[in-house]
Amino acid sequence: MNKSLLNIIAKKFGKDPGKMLIHTGVIGWGMSAAAQICAIVFNDKLKPEQKMFMIPQEFADAMVNIVSFYVITRGFSTLGATFVRTGRLIPKNISNYIKKIGFGKQIGKIDFNINKHVKMPKNIKAEYNDFKKGIEVSSTIIGSILSCNIITPIVRNLYASKRQEQNIAKLNIKKNTQKANIASYTNYIYPTMQTFQNNASLKI
Amino acid sequence: MNILFKVDHYISKITRSIYSNVPNMTVNNQKIINGVKWVGEHISSPQNRLILGASALMSQPFIDLYNKNVDEETRKTSAARTVAKIIAGTTTGFLVRYYCIKAIDTFAKIPKKGVKPWETILTPDMVKTGLKNLGNYKQALGTILSLWVMLFTNFAIDAPFTKYLTNKFINKVHNYEQYKKWREQVNNE
Repeated sequence: MNKSLLNIIAKKFGKDPGKMLIHTGVIGWGMSAAAQICAIVFNDKLKPEQKMFMIPQEFADAMVNIVSFYVITRGFSTLGATFVRTGRLIPKNISNYIKKIGFGKQIGKIDFNINKHVKMPKNIKAEYNDFKKGIEVSSTIIGSILSCNIITPIVRNLYASKRQEQNIAKLNIKKNTQKANIASYTNYIYPTMQTFQNNASLKI
Repeated sequence: MNILFKVDHYISKITRSIYSNVPNMTVNNQKIINGVKWVGEHISSPQNRLILGASALMSQPFIDLYNKNVDEETRKTSAARTVAKIIAGTTTGFLVRYYCIKAIDTFAKIPKKGVKPWETILTPDMVKTGLKNLGNYKQALGTILSLWVMLFTNFAIDAPFTKYLTNKFINKVHNYEQYKKWREQVNNE
């Protein structure tokens, strides 16, 4: 196994794996949307008008997911982590301990970092870290549900509906133009044929 | 990248304003504290995928069904495809994540007595020179590995499975519609 590649990953993302989520998210969602679009295109059971809705829907799904993940999910997890880091949301016994050692006034201030500024006994520190991790995971889940399962489907449907409307309108214009062309062509050919039939010396 | 910095700036601005409007809170209920701790210990990437899939089933098909901007048939077909996509995506997503994490746990161990050489083939050399957080490295490697696996499964499993389920669900919807029409006819007669 090429260890230098593993070392690059360890060096680049070992401190903060969250950094790479945006890159992997973009590739992952993009490829998933491409696969799903192929599945729509090659599905004979779907009508063309439905495909006109579903293809942009899938495209928008990937785009909106990337943006909403970056803005909402990350926003929620940052907020959750900040709440616990500054002591704005912590278990009561930890809050009591922080107050007891004289940091009571610092609780809730944005630049306060419990892990950095407060020396805690092992058991309280473990309890604090467990609580912090739990809040971070919970806030990320809430953020993901809100962004991926509520905001993304609403926005992607709005976009896809608009695209379907535009595509159907384009298709209708094309059909109407074709019809008009055929009609004008027959109108044009008919009298000529009549004239030819009536005036030419050879009667058909 | 400039856009990302700008977005980051706005996110931190919004989070700061939300933060400043929330009062200090302490949790006294031991059940809640234990619940939060349990979430932190037991919910990782594969479980997160399951939760997202389950909640997606509860919201996304209904958002599709109530999309008044398209005709009824498109609405139903789109909801059927969404359900199919969620089932296919969640199943493969969960399995890929679960087995990628398992593989990395098995092959990225810290070299010491009792650990076989093949158990360290994914361990970086930096672990000897002072990589502080092997957990973060494993998470990063797991994400990269599952991304590569998913590039394959997206086309080979997800897409055909979604297509198969979509057509099954569309048939079910059509059969139900026909049944409903027949019932109406019988009732009218």
